[in-house]
Amino acid sequence: MEREQVIIVRYCEIHLKGKNRGYFEQVFMNNLEKALAGVRHEIRRPSGRYVVENFDGSRTEEICERIRKVFGVHTLSVGIKTGADLDEIFEEVVRIAPDSGTFKVETNRADKHFPLNSVEVNAEIGGRLLGKNPSLKVDVREPQCVLHIDIRENGTALVFRDIIKGAGGMPVGTAGKGMLLLSGGIDSPVAGYMIAKRGMKLECVHFHSYPYTNMQAREKVEELARILAEYTGGLTLHVVSVTHIQEEIHKKCPEEMMITLLRRFMMRIAERLSLETGAQCIVTGESLGQVASQTVEGMTSSNAVIKTMPVLRPLVGFDKTEIIAKAREIGTYETSVLPYEDCCTVFLPKHPLIRPKLDKVEAAESLLDVQGLIDEAFAGIEAVQF
Amino acid sequence: MEKIYLDNAATTRPDQKAVEAALSYLEENFYNPSALYKEGFSVRKDLEKARKEIVSCISDSGKYDMIFTSCGSESDNQAIFSAARRGNFVTTEGEHAAVFSAAAELARRGTEVRYAKLNPDGGVNEGDLLSKVDKDTSLVSVIHVNNETGAVNDIAGLAEKVKKIAPRALFHSDGVQAFGKIPFRLSGAVDLYSVSAHKIGGVRGVGGLFRNKSKNLFPYIFGGGQENGLRSGTENTFAIMQFSAAAKKKFSSLDGDLARIRGYNRLFRSLLDEKIFQVMSSEEASPYILSISARGLRGEVLQHMADDAGVLVGTGSACSSRNRYSRVILACGADEKTADGVLRISFSAQTTEEACRCAAAVINRCAAELWERTK
Repeated sequence: MEREQVIIVRYCEIHLKGKNRGYFEQVFMNNLEKALAGVRHEIRRPSGRYVVENFDGSRTEEICERIRKVFGVHTLSVGIKTGADLDEIFEEVVRIAPDSGTFKVETNRADKHFPLNSVEVNAEIGGRLLGKNPSLKVDVREPQCVLHIDIRENGTALVFRDIIKGAGGMPVGTAGKGMLLLSGGIDSPVAGYMIAKRGMKLECVHFHSYPYTNMQAREKVEELARILAEYTGGLTLHVVSVTHIQEEIHKKCPEEMMITLLRRFMMRIAERLSLETGAQCIVTGESLGQVASQTVEGMTSSNAVIKTMPVLRPLVGFDKTEIIAKAREIGTYETSVLPYEDCCTVFLPKHPLIRPKLDKVEAAESLLDVQGLIDEAFAGIEAVQF
Repeated sequence: MEKIYLDNAATTRPDQKAVEAALSYLEENFYNPSALYKEGFSVRKDLEKARKEIVSCISDSGKYDMIFTSCGSESDNQAIFSAARRGNFVTTEGEHAAVFSAAAELARRGTEVRYAKLNPDGGVNEGDLLSKVDKDTSLVSVIHVNNETGAVNDIAGLAEKVKKIAPRALFHSDGVQAFGKIPFRLSGAVDLYSVSAHKIGGVRGVGGLFRNKSKNLFPYIFGGGQENGLRSGTENTFAIMQFSAAAKKKFSSLDGDLARIRGYNRLFRSLLDEKIFQVMSSEEASPYILSISARGLRGEVLQHMADDAGVLVGTGSACSSRNRYSRVILACGADEKTADGVLRISFSAQTTEEACRCAAAVINRCAAELWERTK
């Protein structure tokens, strides 16, 4: 008989949250529901875990993949639902058991009225399995395979084997909202991922300089936002043109200050957007020393324009290779390395300033109509929902 | 506002009359031409008639035949992988990517590939080409009209000279930008010739590979044995019939179109702001393609600005760290700054004088503005 598949979802850290636990669980549940939007399913919440049921068995893999990306998911397993009956349970255990090697049976008995206790179920099912397949051996310390049996309170049992690692972290939405500077490179999506993993909801802002950059570059950033949105349960991307700002800096300020000054404009715009959208901090993908503008002096210069909120730089201590590995893992790398320029090289200085002095930066900036340029950039802002 | 379209070397607007003439092959005459019932056979007959008509446009159908492919690129690939089977393959630095990348793949598989240098106008340097051919050469491929500069190669003459050095070699030419645009008939020395429908008012999805009947061609796509076993796959009858109607129309007005477009090309050159633009195409180039460069500006940025002002043109550069400069323009001897500023204006039979005047004014204005903004 073909029995129903279920997915068992275990969460992490939420149990640490004491009195707030109910709130965390509710947000987590909502995020799971969002991740499974458009797919037939039901989520139940027996003690200490979530069980997804009543879905189309041919889409199990896709559903697992969606759940795996929800922050707060510690692990998940695909199980089979049987009656709380030893014969039925054994039938399914045989199906998922390996052909040879070592194993152990691990039972969790929520239904305390079940005639055998957990240890007795382990022994009974393990014994029957050994009898049926002599090439198997029991090893309770380091088994090659663990066969799980979960006897539930409603007269059913779940049988499963593999444990799939989830994204970990905290449910998105339980740690406020941040404004991520999303450039199109490798780092910024990873920074967004890292911070969302700690439960922060994201808005993104992307700066472009059309006509110096092209539609493909914009398309690429939208694709990155779409990938990030799978982890964050949706997000808004704000697209801002900095073309005129770059032209003005190019005309009026020392060539080597282009990046330093542009970063300050980006920060100001991000702060104002944060205040308008309820974001409480700015998140960037900077990593100390990675490029000329990412020095501690560079960060001082860009931090100096932010008055009302912190700037979080989750990748500050990461090596490029570590960031690349993470980008590959979360699926943004392939898109990030598409070769479209995001900040046109027409304006890139040959020798950018590595250690900008704040007073000199401010003096150079005083030649610009900062407020006017920011207002102009805001007038043309576009928001895209993912 | 309808935009002015001057990127006809990329693709042309499908000829509506030709679409209407072929529509029945999407509707009541939808049958598979390989089917043995009367309906299928009738479509087969129409398809063969269309083939003959296209072949006759540029060759003697007693000497040449043609297989239908899906596009010019497929024709080029089939020619190269079919014919470059031994010895060395000689081609030029001015080829379309369909030949250039196929050559790179051949080299990767172990065939020796030799590239002939270009003249400053983008045409192949004849002396260099012939010096690379020897008795072991199995295939020579030279583009007929360069798709970036419009330079016309004398492929009939080159083919004759190649054959004197390497009598067993085959000569192929990518004729995608020449077919239906410049007067030309295949001589016996050109063995294989690629064409594409959508550059002359056809729809995308069909191309052709002409073949000198006395020469062998090998299949590239295997399957049901269509096209005499040389190109399997159910024929795209609608696109083929539409191609045939569009070609017939284009060839009937070829000389008149050419004279008119030569006039537009001259007009365009004369209208360009010579303080900013340098003309890359030579006077002898196909008038359908006009390559210009605003040295010091970036072609793609100009292209975006012209687009916003209602004029669509092609470009030789890109805001991309890969393929930043056109390899063909660099091979003409241009420096990177010149290559970076290239725009490609390409005309079609539908282009009007008014569109040329307006587009030239827009391009001048955009370039002047960009100078101002970035100086």
